[in-house]
Amino acid sequence: MPILKDFKFHAPKTLSEALGLLDKGKTSLLLAGGTFALNTLKKTSRFPSDVISLRKIGALQGIKPQGRGLWIGAMTTVADVAGSKLIENMFPSLAQAASSLGTTPVRHMATVGGNIASRFFWADLPAVLISLGAKICVAEKNKKETLPLEKFLPERSLKKFILTGIFLPENKMSSFYFRHTRAVQEVDAPYLALAFSCSRKGARLQDVRCIVNTTLSLPLSLKNVEALFENIARAKIAAREIQEALRKDTENSKLDAYRLHLLSADLEKLAYEKM
Amino acid sequence: MKKCKIVINGKLCELEIRDAELLIETLRERLGLLGTRYSCLEGDCGVCTVLKNGKNVLSCLILTADCDGDDIVTIEGIGRGEAPHPLQNSFVEKGAIQCGFCTPGMILAAKALLDKNPRPEDAEIAKALDGNLCRCTGYVKIIDAVRDASKKL
Repeated sequence: MPILKDFKFHAPKTLSEALGLLDKGKTSLLLAGGTFALNTLKKTSRFPSDVISLRKIGALQGIKPQGRGLWIGAMTTVADVAGSKLIENMFPSLAQAASSLGTTPVRHMATVGGNIASRFFWADLPAVLISLGAKICVAEKNKKETLPLEKFLPERSLKKFILTGIFLPENKMSSFYFRHTRAVQEVDAPYLALAFSCSRKGARLQDVRCIVNTTLSLPLSLKNVEALFENIARAKIAAREIQEALRKDTENSKLDAYRLHLLSADLEKLAYEKM
Repeated sequence: MKKCKIVINGKLCELEIRDAELLIETLRERLGLLGTRYSCLEGDCGVCTVLKNGKNVLSCLILTADCDGDDIVTIEGIGRGEAPHPLQNSFVEKGAIQCGFCTPGMILAAKALLDKNPRPEDAEIAKALDGNLCRCTGYVKIIDAVRDASKKL
C-alpha cells in the first residue's frame, strides 16, 4: 500500500512559474528539502491537491556577497550553510547553528528557507538569523517584499508566498551561540538555545541582540538583557542584574526554572569570559 | 503518473512512477533493491539511507519524481558478494555487524564521508554517522571499521 496519498507533482524551473502554480492550485504544498513537509504529510488528513518542488529554481540557490552583506538563497541546504567559508568568517554563530541542526543526512536535505517557512523551532536557525539582523525576501504573485525575519515569523496572513532568500547585513559584530540538548529516548533533542551578537566601542558593547530559541514557540527577544549589556562596561555587570533582567524578559514565557538557569549561566559566561 | 530519468547504481533508469511515490518505495518495490530498508519512515533511524549525488540522504523523505536527473547509489551499488567494497570487508572483519539491519545505511554514510574526507578522526566518523542508529553494537566497532577502511582506501 502506498505511503502517501496521491497528489499532482510539479517541478517548475522559474520563480514566476512556481508562483503561477501556487496561485492556481486548490491546496498546494511547497516542497523545499522535504524533511518537514513530507514527514508532516505522513501524519495529516489535510492532503494537498498539488506539491510544488522548488528544487529546480536556480534563483533560489546559493550563497553570495550582495551589496554590503550576504545573500543566502532559500533553497540553500543547511549543510552548505554549515560548510561555507564566507559564513564561517562573517557570521560564525550561523555556521555553528547550521552544523548542529538535526543529523548529517537531514542537513544534506533541509533548506534554510524551508526551516524558516515551516516555523519548526527545534532548529535554532531562526533565532540565530534574527540575532544577526536577517531580512527575509518574500515573493507573492504580484509583489516582492523584504522584511525583518522577526516580523515575518509571527505573520500568518500571508498565504500564497515563496521565500526567495535571506539577506544578512555586513557588520563588524561578534556573534555567539549556546545550545543545550536533553536526552529523549537515546537521542539528543534540542532543548534551548541562545544567540547573541554585538559590536564593540572600546570597553562597551553596542547594538546588542539577544535572542532565545525556547523550542516551544517563536524566538524570544530579551530586551531587558540587551539593555543591560549595552553601554555597560563588561566588568560591571553583576550576576543578580542578569537574573533580574532575565526574569523580566521571561515572565510571560513558558520557560521552566531549569531553562532559566541555563540561560542565566550562558549570559554570565558571555559577560565574564567571552567579552 | 510521472516519467523521470534517474541514474541508479550507475545505470540510467527511465521510470514511470506515481506523483506521490517515495524514493524508498521505488527502490524496493519497483526495482527490487531491498538493501534500502523501511523502519521509522520519519528520517530518524537512517536505515533508508542512500547516496544522492554523492551525499547520504534519507530515501523515506524524498519523492522519486523530485530525483529526475539525479545519481542514486544504494548498498547494492557499492559492492557485491564476490567483490565487496573495502568498507564492507572492514565491517565484517571488525565485527561491526550483529543483526545487520542498520548496516547498509551505516556503510553508505561512511562511504559519503570517506569520499570527502579520506582520513577522518574518530569524532568526524561519529558525526558523519549521526543519522544512523544501531540498537545492537554500541557503535564502537562500527567506528573501528570505518577507521580501518579509511586506511585501506
